[in-house]
Amino acid sequence: MTNTEPTNGAARPMVTLEGVDKFFGTFQALRNIDLEVARQEVVVVLGPSGSGKSTLIRCINRLEHHDRGRITVDGIELSNDVRAIRQVRRLTGMVFQQFNLFPHLTVLDNITLAPRQVRRMPRHEAEELAMQLLERVKIPEQARKYPGQLSGGQQQRVAIARSLATEPHVMMFDEPTSALDPEMIKEVLDVMQELAGTGMTMICVTHEMGFAREVASRVVFMDEGEIVEVGEPEHFFTDPTEERTKRFMEQIL
Amino acid sequence: MTATVPPDPHASGDHPGPPPRPTAAAWARENLFNNRHNSVLTILLGAGLVVLVIYGARFLFVTGQWEPVRTNLTLLMMGTFPREEQWRIVVQVYLLCAAVGLLWGGLTAGSRDRARDAGVPFSRARLRDGVRRWWPVFVLLAVLLGMTRTWLPLAFVASALALGVVARRLMEALPEAGRRGAWFVAGVCALAGWQILSGTGGIAWWWGSALVAAAAVRLTRNVRTDARWQPAARLALVAGSVAVVWAIYAQLDFGGVGWDDWSGFQLNLVAAAASIVLAFPVGLLAAVGRRSQLPAVRWLSVGYIEVIRGVPLITLLFMGDLFLGFFLPTEDPLSKVTRAIAVMTLFTGAYLAEIVRGGLQAVPRGQVEAAQAIGLSAPRVLGMIVLPQALRAVIPALVGQFINLFKDSTLLSIIALTEILRIRESIHGQREFLIVGIAETLVFVAFAFWALAFTMSRESQRLERRLGVGER
Repeated sequence: MTNTEPTNGAARPMVTLEGVDKFFGTFQALRNIDLEVARQEVVVVLGPSGSGKSTLIRCINRLEHHDRGRITVDGIELSNDVRAIRQVRRLTGMVFQQFNLFPHLTVLDNITLAPRQVRRMPRHEAEELAMQLLERVKIPEQARKYPGQLSGGQQQRVAIARSLATEPHVMMFDEPTSALDPEMIKEVLDVMQELAGTGMTMICVTHEMGFAREVASRVVFMDEGEIVEVGEPEHFFTDPTEERTKRFMEQIL
Repeated sequence: MTATVPPDPHASGDHPGPPPRPTAAAWARENLFNNRHNSVLTILLGAGLVVLVIYGARFLFVTGQWEPVRTNLTLLMMGTFPREEQWRIVVQVYLLCAAVGLLWGGLTAGSRDRARDAGVPFSRARLRDGVRRWWPVFVLLAVLLGMTRTWLPLAFVASALALGVVARRLMEALPEAGRRGAWFVAGVCALAGWQILSGTGGIAWWWGSALVAAAAVRLTRNVRTDARWQPAARLALVAGSVAVVWAIYAQLDFGGVGWDDWSGFQLNLVAAAASIVLAFPVGLLAAVGRRSQLPAVRWLSVGYIEVIRGVPLITLLFMGDLFLGFFLPTEDPLSKVTRAIAVMTLFTGAYLAEIVRGGLQAVPRGQVEAAQAIGLSAPRVLGMIVLPQALRAVIPALVGQFINLFKDSTLLSIIALTEILRIRESIHGQREFLIVGIAETLVFVAFAFWALAFTMSRESQRLERRLGVGER
């Protein structure tokens, strides 16, 4: 993966992990992870809790640092180099389980913060962009409210708009619907599905099997920090190979 | 119920509205006389209260000998401030009122516009609300004016307040673009007031440089430059402004009375205000430093905080008075007042640091992660995401510390600064007041502190409530 010529950009995978290990103290959270995510691919990561799914995607934008192996995002390798980290964070968007909107800023300010501060966009331009994104997640009328005044589903859609405001090349979702009331899950999944339809590269940790089945181009199953099985969604739902995958699928279906 | 009107579930009928407010008699029966024990207690405490009020009123209006206060009112307030320079205070108060009025109007107009954008109804705070919120201050003013012998002070206070109100109205009437200019005018007013009062000394020079530099950067904002040269151009602009202001200051002599020569309640006020303003950034830095990844910074912060917090303020004041000067170049020794303000700043900074640290810890980890994930740099994560939330969480504690500092300014008397308590002592050295009104002067001093401290406390509660609106 040393080839980083721009001419080769379209063919180059978006995210590459090679032999990645991650420890929390003596606990090994990730074991020898190898994964390649191609452009426009939607990868859904499944697995029981504590299997390292969240840690995996949090390593990709360096919210956690990996201890061994290589991680590259769009040709940029992650290391302790602060510039590389900031570049990668500019290329990646992340949506959290708990939304993590900034409660002291309005919806509009939440979204314009990154364009204005990181990309140095003038205010009116950033606000135009933010309104377009709010249209896209279907809540333009909430622009002037504070996050605390919105429902969970609305907050999560604002969080998606906030991540999109940096115009990322890859979006990562860390259990985006797990903190939502059942009736709000669909509105968030719909937005995610539309996003996938626009050709966005996505890595989603989720328990939404319907979403995995319909939207994913590939499903990754993890257990105890390892990737156990990778395959087409249909393969997983009808005929998984590994014993651990079978057991997990039986439990949740 | 007709078919065209949708049924209102809150209308009377099946669903009764909220219960009616009880009458005063019913309320008293319910809460004060609901059983025998409570009735006895109510009567006893009520009797005690009545006695207390009668005694208090008799002291205030009949037996109290307020002559020492009345005679020495100027001394208590202004101490030995040169009488021929008093016009400087008058001008400063006018300018300050104008600045505060502009500031207040700007804040009101800002929240009015935000409410309009959000489609929320907005009720403008009336002057009446101001009086209700600040009544202890107004009572203090009334007491002070009631004790003066001429009408001049009344005219002065009334006109200054009127100026503030007019400035506020003016600011509210301005469009948003105009308000930005008016903020600058407010800064200039505050600066000029301080300037005229205290001359060229001390912080006025820095303040003026900052204002001019800010204006210069603002005005040249839209000049197109090569992006590479922009930081250098800005730096040159700021440096140039500072140099020009410095050159002007070096040439001029404004006269004025610096705080070294202040005394009386004025000294308490300026010492407390200066220490509060200066201690805030010190505390912020120490709090952030204590959480730094760099061990040297962390140890330095912890050392500062723990050493200062372990030593009584009085001890520190003595130390500052005796040997703070040794650490500094001797040719231009710091005045007694400046040294005292430095000590109070360092003292309060250490306590603020611990308060702010508590606030920093209250900000959820996810906030930092979300800010990092959208690519904000570490200083921006701290300044735009963490600190605003951390500080809001600790407003009551911060203001509590400020109130403490204000009251602790009376400790300046023990290093022989003539603040209000020491002046009060000297009043009873006057032959006619040796044993007259000893309690009364103390009560007066206590009331002056209470009126301001209580108002600060109430305002902080109000600020806390307001900032909580619309948050999670």
